[in-house]
Amino acid sequence: MLFSGFSAGIIHGLTNLTLVEPYLDEAIGIENQNLFASGEAQDSPSFWVEYNSYRNWQKGGQILAGGILGMSFGSLFGIIFAFSRKALPEGHDAKKALVLAAIMWFTIFLIPFLKYPANPPTVGDPDTVVLRGILFLSFIAISGFGALGFYRLSKKLQKRKKILSIIGYAAFMSIVFALMPTNPDEITAPIELVNGFRVMSLAAVLVYWVSNAIILGVLWQRFKPDKPIHTKTH
Amino acid sequence: MSKSRGITISKSEVPLYAIILLAGIFAFGLFVVGYDQGHIFSIVLGEDAYAEQFIHELTHDMRHAAGFPCH
Repeated sequence: MLFSGFSAGIIHGLTNLTLVEPYLDEAIGIENQNLFASGEAQDSPSFWVEYNSYRNWQKGGQILAGGILGMSFGSLFGIIFAFSRKALPEGHDAKKALVLAAIMWFTIFLIPFLKYPANPPTVGDPDTVVLRGILFLSFIAISGFGALGFYRLSKKLQKRKKILSIIGYAAFMSIVFALMPTNPDEITAPIELVNGFRVMSLAAVLVYWVSNAIILGVLWQRFKPDKPIHTKTH
Repeated sequence: MSKSRGITISKSEVPLYAIILLAGIFAFGLFVVGYDQGHIFSIVLGEDAYAEQFIHELTHDMRHAAGFPCH
């Protein structure tokens, strides 16, 4: 679980370098221009030396951060996979893992993303970062536990009535979506930049979930950690 | 004459210690990449860590790309 999560996280980091990084560079370029315009920084060689130094640090750090975040979500994924494996569709463990990854990506990433989408640098007031962090995490938790609750409800329903649990989850999340406060920050960056960044962010996170599911599924199929042990006694 | 017999031990139950360990890794990793603003290093460096924001800078790009609020 840790290996698959970390590996998929490294893939996520590398994907970000290709897909997301151009948007980050463009957004930080706007931030720099704002700094020069306001007089907070000077467009000098020493500025660019320092800038390139910490940007290289941030870009390289993204790979390690991807590994850590990947291992983190890989742990959560592993716990849920171990518990739900028998309830997932029959077949190869990679297929089971992909089905679960699709459900988890939808409930704890896509739904929260629709309410609180990712933003590039230049968007976001430092004074509201704690509030935004709490809102984002709360929405993930509500959606995740909501999906779990309605799944448990579906187990108690007859076959034809199981659809009610999906409708129930959709209704529940619609209410939460309407009631939760919106992101308090105004978007001041060009909307093409923000939208492009968001699409690439979505795609890169999807790459993580698919990678994690395939790696874990293949490893689970190969090593079968839940295989019963047969011993002989005399 | 001794008889041998087989015992099948089912490991289908997920060990509690594994769940706690994985849940801890999940929470720690989420905090490091998504939320740390100098908190972890402040244990060693004190208040300077909040200005230095070593982990924040390290995870900055992933924080944005994965959808976490950053600035």
